[in-house]
Amino acid sequence: MLHFNNSTPLTLGVELELMILNRRDYNLTRGSDDLLLLIDRQPHGYDIKPEITQGMIEIGTAIHQGSDTMLQELQGIRTLLVSSAQKLNLGLAGGGSHPFQHWSEQQIYPKERYQLVSELYGYLAKQFTVYGQHIHIGCPDGDSAIRLSHYLARYIPHFIALSASSPFYQGMDTLFQTSRLTSVNAFPLSGCMPCVENWTQFNAYFQHMAGLGIVASMKDFYWDIRPKPEYGTVEIRICDTPLDIVTPTLLAAYAQMLAHRCLKDEWHDIQAAHYHTYNYNRFQACRFGFDGVLVDGAAGQQIGLQEDLLSTLNALQPQARALNCEKELSLLRERALKRQSDSQWLRAIYRASGSLSEVVRRQSEHWMYGSTT
Amino acid sequence: MSQLPWHSLSLNPLAAFGILLTLGVIGGQIANRAGRLPAITGYVLTGLIIGPASLHLLNQELLSAADLFVNLALGLALFESGRRVDLHWLRVERTLLLTTLCYCLAVFAALCALLLQGGLGWQASSMMAALGMATSPIVILEMLRETRAEGQVSERLTTATALSSVLSVIVFAIALSSAHLQNQHSTEDAILSPAWLILGSCLLGLLAGLLAIALNRWLGSQQRQRQTVLLFGLIALLVGLSVMLNTLPSLALLVFGLATRNLRGGHTVSEPGLLSSSHFFFVAFFVAAGAQLAPQALANHWPLALAYLLLRSAIPMLCWWLLAPQNCLSRQRGLWLGLALNPLSGGSAMLLGMSTLALGADASAFSGSMMAVFVISELAGPLLTRLALRRAGDIPSED
Repeated sequence: MLHFNNSTPLTLGVELELMILNRRDYNLTRGSDDLLLLIDRQPHGYDIKPEITQGMIEIGTAIHQGSDTMLQELQGIRTLLVSSAQKLNLGLAGGGSHPFQHWSEQQIYPKERYQLVSELYGYLAKQFTVYGQHIHIGCPDGDSAIRLSHYLARYIPHFIALSASSPFYQGMDTLFQTSRLTSVNAFPLSGCMPCVENWTQFNAYFQHMAGLGIVASMKDFYWDIRPKPEYGTVEIRICDTPLDIVTPTLLAAYAQMLAHRCLKDEWHDIQAAHYHTYNYNRFQACRFGFDGVLVDGAAGQQIGLQEDLLSTLNALQPQARALNCEKELSLLRERALKRQSDSQWLRAIYRASGSLSEVVRRQSEHWMYGSTT
Repeated sequence: MSQLPWHSLSLNPLAAFGILLTLGVIGGQIANRAGRLPAITGYVLTGLIIGPASLHLLNQELLSAADLFVNLALGLALFESGRRVDLHWLRVERTLLLTTLCYCLAVFAALCALLLQGGLGWQASSMMAALGMATSPIVILEMLRETRAEGQVSERLTTATALSSVLSVIVFAIALSSAHLQNQHSTEDAILSPAWLILGSCLLGLLAGLLAIALNRWLGSQQRQRQTVLLFGLIALLVGLSVMLNTLPSLALLVFGLATRNLRGGHTVSEPGLLSSSHFFFVAFFVAAGAQLAPQALANHWPLALAYLLLRSAIPMLCWWLLAPQNCLSRQRGLWLGLALNPLSGGSAMLLGMSTLALGADASAFSGSMMAVFVISELAGPLLTRLALRRAGDIPSED
């Protein structure tokens, strides 16, 4: 039986998976152990841990009421990481996937869970060397978490377009705005949560899956959005790790505003029909970003992703006021209007330099120092 | 019938190169499969077996003819080694620079003392000690490629290797100057020649770096293959020019690599990296190096050679062990890093000729001792480096 640890509604936290690079050709390098060892030589109190392969590291923030304090914490974590990485001659970067690493060269981190994942999924585990942002939103109870998970599914394409930063994969331009999700799709327990209506039904589903020996814990579900009962949150797992540290806080603010609307309006329109177009809309966002076309199955209509995002942002004005995040809303609207995405920036660098190594170098300089040159 | 070709069969340079490659690869595989030795040791052993010292399948004349490929291999390795020196990192991590300086100078001082005790003159001792400061870039790069080693030990190893080579060449040039003075050669030989060796080599390397960046930019971003060919061309040209102008090719190439790594716009000069396409030349290099070895030198000089190599191994190990925490390493990994620096620079052989000219009476003892050192080091060095990298945890586990 899963127990949902209730948490303060609408509180926020994010996790970011980052690339660890050598500074010679900016390929991934097995640097997580050395980096963690050096970081842990000094007391810091931040949540910094290894990830499935040794060219990855994950940082997580504490629980925040709003995105402004979250940004301050992220800046603190970045300062600590950068000073350690500099001593080790390592680069750190955001972005959903490394443009030219070869999956077979990656090494699974020597931790029991990762070794089990590797044994079960074979090469998929190494191909999972992709980098995402996870957003946690506090929920008062399990039923709210289930409602919020369904509610947010409608807005998943927005999150994809706003965070897209993985146009290149295995040395090629994929023509996608985000190629990262293709790696996630390969897992049998990826996709979306089944259409359960409350925590009791969810528990029954979980027990059934556990009884069949398919899952042992919530970690075995690779869903785009999933309840996280031990934290008392709903976790959005769809975003690429953005190239800077401001964008993650904007995405978190967007999730918070949507959650505010869902919980205050006591939304409960849970229908399997909403999911008929889920994968198609998700694909449109991955492939075309702001230029994608979304299908509203219930209304039988199509609408441009950018237009849909802008109208959603306009409608969130009251929530932005209530949560004191009008600045974040305005920045999101500006990006949507300009169709400004990290993927475009990366492609522009590649067009100018013809070098994927240079693309990653600029990515790294951007994340570590906020430099755009 | 007497005009048929097999009656007067003799190898030409191309056939010699073919033999170096073919037998080298076979020897490398046998060493690897049968003895679990690094492929490099197999290449060197192959050279030793087919060279003038043993089967005499390759004579000195053919080895000289294959010099073109050997020098190109050395050029590629030195260039790549120079590219591993990140001046930005050295500014942040000064301890790395200081540790390298510290162990190189300690090695120099200790070897000088040993060689003087061993009966060599001051000039021969200082030159031989200078050569002992350098770790072989080509062995280190090839070992890192072969073992897929990565991590802080490997990172510091490549930088220390390149820096030790630069230091070694500079100290060698100064020692050469002193030898000329002592032997009452002309002022030109004594002062101008070593100054030209250092400054001329640096200037050549820097110019090559600037030229590579400019041509790379001119070729344009979409011409990666042409840029690689161009880089090969520039490396070959620099090796040739350096020899023609009597400068030090090793220093020029290190500076060339260093310039392209650290000057603005040089980042994309070597993309994709040259190492994968250099393997051909590297195999030939190691086989040729093995063929040049004269194990008979051990008969007269083994005690000195052994002491030289022991000191040369122990001092870096001690220095890196002492300064490991300051270098973000555990003491144990510091110790392994010191051991990994063991292989003696293959480029040193190129400097031997210059030394013998300057040394006069001491030349024969110097060459003999140095040859004995090379025989042991070329065979044992790669093995020790692999052992050190494995124990340091930089070699990935088999999945």
